[in-house]
Amino acid sequence: MPDLRIRDLSKTYPNGVHALQRINLTIPPGMYGLLGPNGAGKSTLMRTIATLQEPDEGEIHLGSLDVLRQKDEVRKTLGYLPQEFGVYPKTTAERLLNHFAVLRGITRRGERRDVVESLLRQTNLWDVRKQKLGGFSGGMRQRFGVAIAMIGNPRLLIVDEPTAGLDPAERVRFLNLLAELGEQSVVILSTHIVEDVSELCTRMAIIDRGRILLESEPHRAVGDLQGRIWSRVVSRDELAALEREQVVISTKLLAGRTIAHVFRDGSPGQGFEAVAPDLEDVYFSAMSGRYAGHYGAAATAQS
Amino acid sequence: MNFLEIVRFEIDYRLRRPYTWILGAVFVGMACLLAMKVMVGEAERAGDLHANAPSLVGMAAVLVSMLGLVISAALFSEAALRDDDTRMSSLFATSPITKTEYLAGRFVGTLLVNALFVSVVPIMLMLLMRPPFVKEELLGPFRAATYVQPAIALLLPSVLFTGALLFAVGVLTRRTLAVFATAAFVFLGGMMAEEYIEGERGLAPLATLIDPLGFVALSENWEFWTTHEKNTRPLDVDASLLWNRLLWTVLTGAILLFTRWRFRMTVPSQRRKGRLEDQKEVSPAHVSPRPSSRLFRASFNGRARIPQFVSIAGDSARELVFSRDFAVIAVLMAIMVLSFGSESISDDFRTPLWPLTQFVAGFLVSFLPALTMALLTTFYAGELVHRERSVGLADIADASPVPDWIIYTGKVAALGLVLVTLQAVLMASGLVVQVTSGHFDFEIALYLRILFGLKLTSYLLLAALAMLVHVVVDNKYLGHVVVVICHLFTMFATRFGLHHNLLVYGRDSGWTYSDISQFGPFLRPVLWFKLYWGGWALLFAVIAGLLWIRGRDRGVATRLRLARQRFGRRAAFATALAALIVIGAGGFIFYNTNVLAGYRTPFEAEEQSAEYERRYGKFENAPQPAVTGTKLHVEIDPERRVVDVRGTYTLVNKTAAPIRTIHLFLNPEVETRAVSFDRGSRVVIADDTLGHRTVELAQALEPGRSLHMAFDVRFEPRGFPNSDPNTSVVGNGTYFDHDGGGPVNHRRWLPLVGYQTSRELSLAQVRREHGLPPRPLAPSVTSSVLDSSSEKTAAWPETITFEAVIGTSPEQTAVAPGTLLRSWNDPSAGSGGRRYFHYATERPVRNTFAIFSARYAVHRETWNGVVIELFYHPTHTFNVERFAKAVRASLEYYTKNFGPYPHRQIRVAAFPRYANLAHAYPGMIAQAEATGWLTKVDERREVDLASMTVAREVAQQWWGFQVIPAAVEGAPAVSEVLAQYSALLVIEELYGMDMVRRFLWNRRVEYLTQRSKANHPEVPLLDVTNHANVIDNKGPLVMYALRQYVGAEPLNAALRRLVATHGSAGPPFATSRDLYRELQGATPPEYHYLLKDLLETITLWNLRTTAIAAEPAGNGAWRVTLDVEAQKFRAGGSGKETEVPMNDLVDVGVFGDASAEPLYLQKHRIRSGRQRISVVVNGTPARAGVDPHQLLIDRNWSDNLRPVIVEQLR
Repeated sequence: MPDLRIRDLSKTYPNGVHALQRINLTIPPGMYGLLGPNGAGKSTLMRTIATLQEPDEGEIHLGSLDVLRQKDEVRKTLGYLPQEFGVYPKTTAERLLNHFAVLRGITRRGERRDVVESLLRQTNLWDVRKQKLGGFSGGMRQRFGVAIAMIGNPRLLIVDEPTAGLDPAERVRFLNLLAELGEQSVVILSTHIVEDVSELCTRMAIIDRGRILLESEPHRAVGDLQGRIWSRVVSRDELAALEREQVVISTKLLAGRTIAHVFRDGSPGQGFEAVAPDLEDVYFSAMSGRYAGHYGAAATAQS
Repeated sequence: MNFLEIVRFEIDYRLRRPYTWILGAVFVGMACLLAMKVMVGEAERAGDLHANAPSLVGMAAVLVSMLGLVISAALFSEAALRDDDTRMSSLFATSPITKTEYLAGRFVGTLLVNALFVSVVPIMLMLLMRPPFVKEELLGPFRAATYVQPAIALLLPSVLFTGALLFAVGVLTRRTLAVFATAAFVFLGGMMAEEYIEGERGLAPLATLIDPLGFVALSENWEFWTTHEKNTRPLDVDASLLWNRLLWTVLTGAILLFTRWRFRMTVPSQRRKGRLEDQKEVSPAHVSPRPSSRLFRASFNGRARIPQFVSIAGDSARELVFSRDFAVIAVLMAIMVLSFGSESISDDFRTPLWPLTQFVAGFLVSFLPALTMALLTTFYAGELVHRERSVGLADIADASPVPDWIIYTGKVAALGLVLVTLQAVLMASGLVVQVTSGHFDFEIALYLRILFGLKLTSYLLLAALAMLVHVVVDNKYLGHVVVVICHLFTMFATRFGLHHNLLVYGRDSGWTYSDISQFGPFLRPVLWFKLYWGGWALLFAVIAGLLWIRGRDRGVATRLRLARQRFGRRAAFATALAALIVIGAGGFIFYNTNVLAGYRTPFEAEEQSAEYERRYGKFENAPQPAVTGTKLHVEIDPERRVVDVRGTYTLVNKTAAPIRTIHLFLNPEVETRAVSFDRGSRVVIADDTLGHRTVELAQALEPGRSLHMAFDVRFEPRGFPNSDPNTSVVGNGTYFDHDGGGPVNHRRWLPLVGYQTSRELSLAQVRREHGLPPRPLAPSVTSSVLDSSSEKTAAWPETITFEAVIGTSPEQTAVAPGTLLRSWNDPSAGSGGRRYFHYATERPVRNTFAIFSARYAVHRETWNGVVIELFYHPTHTFNVERFAKAVRASLEYYTKNFGPYPHRQIRVAAFPRYANLAHAYPGMIAQAEATGWLTKVDERREVDLASMTVAREVAQQWWGFQVIPAAVEGAPAVSEVLAQYSALLVIEELYGMDMVRRFLWNRRVEYLTQRSKANHPEVPLLDVTNHANVIDNKGPLVMYALRQYVGAEPLNAALRRLVATHGSAGPPFATSRDLYRELQGATPPEYHYLLKDLLETITLWNLRTTAIAAEPAGNGAWRVTLDVEAQKFRAGGSGKETEVPMNDLVDVGVFGDASAEPLYLQKHRIRSGRQRISVVVNGTPARAGVDPHQLLIDRNWSDNLRPVIVEQLR
């Protein structure tokens, strides 16, 4: 199964925002997480891979396919679930899925019926297949989007912020679905929810302001942070002083008290406890800036 | 101050968007262009009218507000729907603002923006309506009030009313379509109301009241204004306009209050009926991974494209068709057809016709349904182009493996399917119209050919354009505006000087369907034009496909780059094919229209007439021999549309001097192969382009001597013209004539002797454009041309003996004047044999004749030895009996009162509906398919115009062919006016006075209306030439008034004397003065002033009964006292009136119950000013007044009579 290779991809919007700045990535088959804050350029990257947007420069290849030029070829094997999408409110799930199945090239009626049925069952929409899409809840609609994206077992599946706005149960269901898909294709999942990545992805990249800060496997990234994250309960007054002295990567509230995480090789001193790092710490370390070079270099070396 | 903040934000938001400015600029530009074109056009058309006359500015204001409806719809639908579309509603709904503030803020803000656009237009017009933009001579003095007044009285209130309506519809329905549909409805409503009231005058006040644009009120306002008044009088802000504005102000308030009441500050999805349907939440938290049962291979070969295409087309169309919006549209269209359909199936005089499929289908493709279809095409094109994006499915759909061109063509096909459905709705409604009128001969094939063949292609062409515009513009509302502008441009293309159909998208040479000749010569060129535009449509599709937006990039540069990328083999092939079609079909059309048929712009065609006059006008008074005999051999080949005429004229020198030089007009439309004389001759001038030939005889023709001239003429259409193909010779229904004064130039194929003044340009304005001096329409009645001792005989009509042998195809009958001497078949001639007819007249007739050939059915009967023959289309049997009866009654009445009928037969022949007229020839009448033969007569409520037309044409056998008018001013007074009057007498014989009054009532309204629209100065009845309004409308009013004053018998006696004096062919020919003299002889001297008023001058009266008192006078008698006001005016040509003292005899009448005879009807002397008249009547008076039967022409006739309220007086 071919890799997706992205080379020197850049995009600047007319309003001056540098959405992508010389992005280089190699994405192997399996689930790939794209983590970053809002406005980091995730969606731009995803849409560019999904043939919906033109970069200013750079190249994207899926195996031997040139994604930017052979759009029609790419689309034959592409599944795309955008961050936001609508449906025709007066159409039933089955009808619209069937429509997209035709568009996806499943033209034999019998086959198409099977595909539609199997997808509706997989996404647990079989019982509501005759309902108008206008009556679907957010989670149902999201699953319906996955069903569309999965038509014809695409080799490249792009899923943009799929779990935003889902309740916990829906989110679990949804992630299960994706995990299943990850066995067969290149699946790119963009999210700003760290847990999504830690639970699902074999590889990940952290992106901010159009740059890749880190590219790694989640467990390796976490492993590399072992012994370098320290936490301490701080009062509001102390925090400013601490931020001057140490690399504070995150502060969060726990039962009303502020807990600061500090990145440092070796103990930063009195009152700090070593914590077992998690992916969130990786994310915040990368976001704090100090850390990008290290792992970014590793990622490049690896490729 | 939430309200002000919302208003401020709304205005600010709008004005900061380029879209608003583009919309505004487009609107102002279009509005100014259109207004100026119309104002200048009207001024040019109507000679003395100023382009900046208050009335024209008012008209422009109404046009601007009609155009403004599109802008208002775009602005207000956005105001109503923006917050839902952008999902902002919930934020507003949860803000601490009241719904009044919210709605009023949106409305007022938008209204102000809209008003800003609209008020720029009059200001721009003020600046533009002056030199150098408009020619100085077309302008009157500048008055700012001229522009300000309509803006305040019409334009701005209209914006308020329509804005409120559109906003309310938008807020309450949450549908853009509903808003645009309402705008279209108001637009059409205004137009239809205007149309409707011209037919049904009783509804005028209602229509005036309910038209929100004030269009009806305005046209009511000017209805009877003359040119002079239109130039000078400001708009009357009269009661009807004020009431209209008041009603709409109240309605606007009510609409806005209702909107406020119904509106809920909530998010739309919760308000919709579809509460979240109960979700069967069955999915467990854990889903067992279950791979797809089989692995499917998607197929992307060529075969997969078909299902993809079908799926896109089918699903899109289904989505649009199976929606509530569509159901509403379909119902509205059906209502439109059912309510206007039977109304509109009428001839040019609004007489209803039998609902034959040719008329019903004709209506279904006529202006109103076609405009509706065009608007819907525009709307649905926008919906389809923006469909995925508007629901947010675009990203998913765009990432699907479907080529751009499949998506695009699929959507075009979907639009096609929607249009087919709409046409089917129209057709079904048409069938219902037929069934409800009891007509069951449906001719489905004809429906299909017209609706789904010819017209659907036009809509598809428009669809291709609309789709392209929507793709390129990439904004739904702006797209609609641009398409509508394209549409307006094609409608008004000729005003911009684009006459050739190759230059205006979607135009073709036009067609008319006739039951007799079917599509005749129209179909072939139309199909070529369709092919040509089809090529363009294909090109549009290619461009749209290349520029189709896929994905998120919408910048121009990216789109162009993508287009270059997409331009592959397929696009190249399609472009090449389109170019091939455009060049091939276009070239073929150009070869036909311009090379073969010799296309000329209207100006060039006029220029030819001008050049003819400039070069050969000097021969106008050259003495010429007169034609006294015509012998023809005519071979008609209907299938090939070819006619060969070999003929001989006998020419006699009726002047006092020898004639050496003969001038001929040889129509350039036909090929005149040979012209020869029975003596030596020499061609001096041979101008084939202008059709003039001058021949010098070797030996002069002495006075009183004759010579023969032989000629050979061939008519064969070459290629096809840009428009109006020659319809004289068609497969079935050939009709061509030779009429020196006839209206249709191209029919005069045979050589004409002498310089032809009838070819000269006549309209003063047109003559000026071509640098020709003004010219009277006809020689003055006092001029020397009438001096019979003069050598100039141009004014003398010719009389000839006529003989013709006519050959045609064996299944057709040829009809010509005279007695049918013989008819025979020649099986050996031609391919399928020929049939020949030999006609000859027994006595000299006026030199005007026609030849017909068609598969006729014949009705034959005799009356007092005169054979009455009706030649009609076999299925058009509706009025054959009625015609026969009318001919009989006419012959009977005219013979008794005017003198004997000179021929042994009278024929009425039908011809296809290419012209809707009836025309008389000696012993013969040409009656168009749709005038008379198919009229649906309702004797109880309407006038039997079928019989009336025939009676009028029969009367021309006396007035025109026995009393032949000299070709000078006033000629129609002797022919047309008397014929019309005679027909009125026949109608009175057949149906009684009631129908005559109905007829005259229509004529009166028509006269006063037309008088106001006339494009040349009005003249008194005695001086008419081509003044159709005076002839057709004032003529019968005047003659009927005379008849009521003088009595029928004395008048008939006068006419009888006219026939006796002038009845034999040959000089002295009659003039209107001869008629006047006879009328004076028949009129008692006390009425001579009236003759002068009615015939010699343009006189109008204003008679009014202001008060009535009635008191019992004992024995059941009553004394009725009337207060009467009177004025009398003399009008100049352009309508400038001067009051003259009045001391006239006018009827004063007192009436009892409506049906009874008048209690009192006597003539009284009525003076100018106020006066009191008192009469005693036997019986209870109900109504009383002055001139109760409206014999005198009075613009306000409704105040002549007043009801007598007796109770009050007791």
